[in-house]
Amino acid sequence: MTDTTSDPARRFPSFLRRADPAVLTAFVCIALLLVFGSLYSTSFLSPEYLLQQLKVASFLGVIATGMMIVILLGQIDLSVPWVVSAGAMMACAAAAYGTAGVALAIPFGVLCGVAIGLVNGIGVAYLRIPSMIITLATNAVAQGLMVVYTGGFSPQDSAPEAMRWLATGFLLPGVPNAVLIWAIVGAAAVFLLTRTTFGRSVYAIGNRERAAYLSGIDTRRVVLIAFAISGGLSAFGGVLLAGYASKAAQSMGDAYLLPAIAAVVLGGTSILGGRGSYLGTVAGVILITLLQSILSVMQMPEAGRQVIYGVVIVAMLLLYGRAPASR
Amino acid sequence: MAAPSADTAAFFRMEGVSKRYGGVRAIEKADLAVTAGSIHAILGENGAGKSTLIKIIAGVVAPDEGRMLLDGREVSFASPGAANAAGIACIFQELSLVPDLSVADNIMISDPPRRFGLIDRNAQRRMAEAALERAGAADIHPMALVKDLPLSRRQMVEIAKALARKPRILILDEATSALTAADVSKVFAVLKRLRQEGMALLYISHRMHEIAELADECSVFRNGRHVATYPAGSKSDNEVIEMMIGREYRHIFPPKGTVAAEAKPVLECRRLGWTDRLRDISFSIRPGEVVGLGGLDGQGQRELLLALFGVLRGMTGEIRVDGAPVRVSSPAAARADGIGMALIPEDRKTEGLMLPMSVRENLSFAALDRIAPHGIINRGIEDGKIEEMVRLLSIKTANPDIPVGALSGGNQQKVVIAKWLMRGPRIILLNDPTRGIDVGTKQEIYQLLRRLADEGAAIIFYSTDYDELIGCCDRVLVLYDGTVKTELVGEGITDRALIASALNINAGDGVPASGAAA
Repeated sequence: MTDTTSDPARRFPSFLRRADPAVLTAFVCIALLLVFGSLYSTSFLSPEYLLQQLKVASFLGVIATGMMIVILLGQIDLSVPWVVSAGAMMACAAAAYGTAGVALAIPFGVLCGVAIGLVNGIGVAYLRIPSMIITLATNAVAQGLMVVYTGGFSPQDSAPEAMRWLATGFLLPGVPNAVLIWAIVGAAAVFLLTRTTFGRSVYAIGNRERAAYLSGIDTRRVVLIAFAISGGLSAFGGVLLAGYASKAAQSMGDAYLLPAIAAVVLGGTSILGGRGSYLGTVAGVILITLLQSILSVMQMPEAGRQVIYGVVIVAMLLLYGRAPASR
Repeated sequence: MAAPSADTAAFFRMEGVSKRYGGVRAIEKADLAVTAGSIHAILGENGAGKSTLIKIIAGVVAPDEGRMLLDGREVSFASPGAANAAGIACIFQELSLVPDLSVADNIMISDPPRRFGLIDRNAQRRMAEAALERAGAADIHPMALVKDLPLSRRQMVEIAKALARKPRILILDEATSALTAADVSKVFAVLKRLRQEGMALLYISHRMHEIAELADECSVFRNGRHVATYPAGSKSDNEVIEMMIGREYRHIFPPKGTVAAEAKPVLECRRLGWTDRLRDISFSIRPGEVVGLGGLDGQGQRELLLALFGVLRGMTGEIRVDGAPVRVSSPAAARADGIGMALIPEDRKTEGLMLPMSVRENLSFAALDRIAPHGIINRGIEDGKIEEMVRLLSIKTANPDIPVGALSGGNQQKVVIAKWLMRGPRIILLNDPTRGIDVGTKQEIYQLLRRLADEGAAIIFYSTDYDELIGCCDRVLVLYDGTVKTELVGEGITDRALIASALNINAGDGVPASGAAA
């Protein structure tokens, strides 16, 4: 995944000819944004800036990976905001319990997210609650639990060294660890989606749940696992964010729900499920990150930034909506 | 205007009406004359064109050619609403009521009485009451919610809804199939009264005794053509069956096999039941046998296949595989090694395939556990199996990675069958597998089924095409009203026997003689 994102100009035409037109559109938009940005300031094309953007994009990328799997099923996960926060807070909290706590901080944070994801999955797959409702409900419950835990203030526990290193360190010279992690998560997602029974089943269910069921696929188990993965990745994103900021914060995940969905959909994944490639999600994540960055660099006031951000997303979705839906 | 027919009472007539769906002729040059104050029954086996005919009259589909005359003026209905406005109301078998609205809301749904632009609820209630009264269902409270009513009461509401539009022609399509016996006699009384009031009724039913009781005139359709119209009672049951028999082409079927008499049954069902759609079904099937399910459409054949495959919840009775009782709780359980079932579903587009996905992916779905030993797909095994299947069934595809939706209907159906053959199933259930595919592919499928049977598979085959049942099956179970009414074996599987048992009438002594002789 890293080579597709680090060297845009030369590599695209060869493999994008086969790619989904939506993915192509997303990459063209990225290029346009960069051109537009460079007119404003030449530093937009500097390697430092691009690398920094990639690093910022990694957090969204990890969260959007889980979201993509759920959207491919034809479902949605709205519990992202507080699963991100819960993952971050629980990891930091665990780190306060001695060396064992520090060692287990990251797995513990991720496991909290998996647990919330399992609740979502049981609700959707076994209780047949619409995912929009159950994930919104678990988001509220997670929020409540976190507020009780922190007393409503920013938690005092700080992120352990390992988390900071994951988010800000350099294992390979020149490549931030966060980017490396996104590359690993992305490669795993590509493998999962294209080379495993689970991945095939996800696409099958998103296309025609009834046909998948009649083929003998255990559709409920697949849905359950997908939500667990989404919860785990959201929480992992939270862990990385806490490492980046050195501590967890209230509502630190709020800024990730809409961008995660938008990134997946802008990358050509059908919001109705069944269709989409991870490459598209990569493009969507970078596109959203660049857009946010350029708007803030241009010192647009916050209100104007939100309006433009929203309008651009709606405009792009309308653009994709014109493409034949083939359903 | 100057219709040559001497029947001057006919105020509605169809002349030379045809309708095609794609290449399939649903109805061709059909004529029909409807007389005021009479009940006109329409008869025909599956696919004879009855439902298309009704849909044309009711404005649901537009005919390709021909014309319709109402009171001597040519009319065409662009929508069901236009047909309604012209005085034609239709009661379909599938209910069209909104469960969460009241009975009165439903009855007046298309044209509620208004005052100042708002619905006048009092007037609506009065009008609904009057309509219910007219339908002989005054016991139904107009303010009750439809979802609280049992099925038979809902059907009565449906009738009241049609009557509230004050139609001149009332069409009833299998409208009595959900009713209790008491309701049926009430409805009949209502229908007879409506006839006296001068309404014309078109009555479609497969229940011959109902037609005998009600109809003044009968029209028989066969293969989309109008065969004959005769006054009710002027023909015997045998003559009616004779008129319904007869197709234009015969498929070429492979020779039937022989089943070793001592072979033990691979599948046995005892007293299967499911809600009121399946009742007390028992049968067994041995390896190498092709057993057909016959009968008119919608007599429980689909439900039986779904029940065997573990799709239906709340099924009663016992299923035995190789003599041991099994519990089939889901398709995943049905396809598992100890049972080895496969189901070729009814609708390949929504139940059999994921159209936007590739041929490869579609072929692999039922056998993912075979090609992905630890959940990771082994492309080598997958490619090998896919190549084998594409060759075995001669699936015409440029390569396995194009979307299955790009293939022809026949090749799509081959993909559905192939995906199950990849597992090497022992019991194969097929739900009308040749519908909507070309003749060449049909013949390939017949040969494939026979070959699979010869290799030891047990095949249960539902078809709406009697020709196929006659040509392919060693035995045919004819279902009527959710239960097996007749079992036809070998030479006893004939057109005449199939139609007679599908209509649940005794065809007399002609059964064994009319088969392929000596």
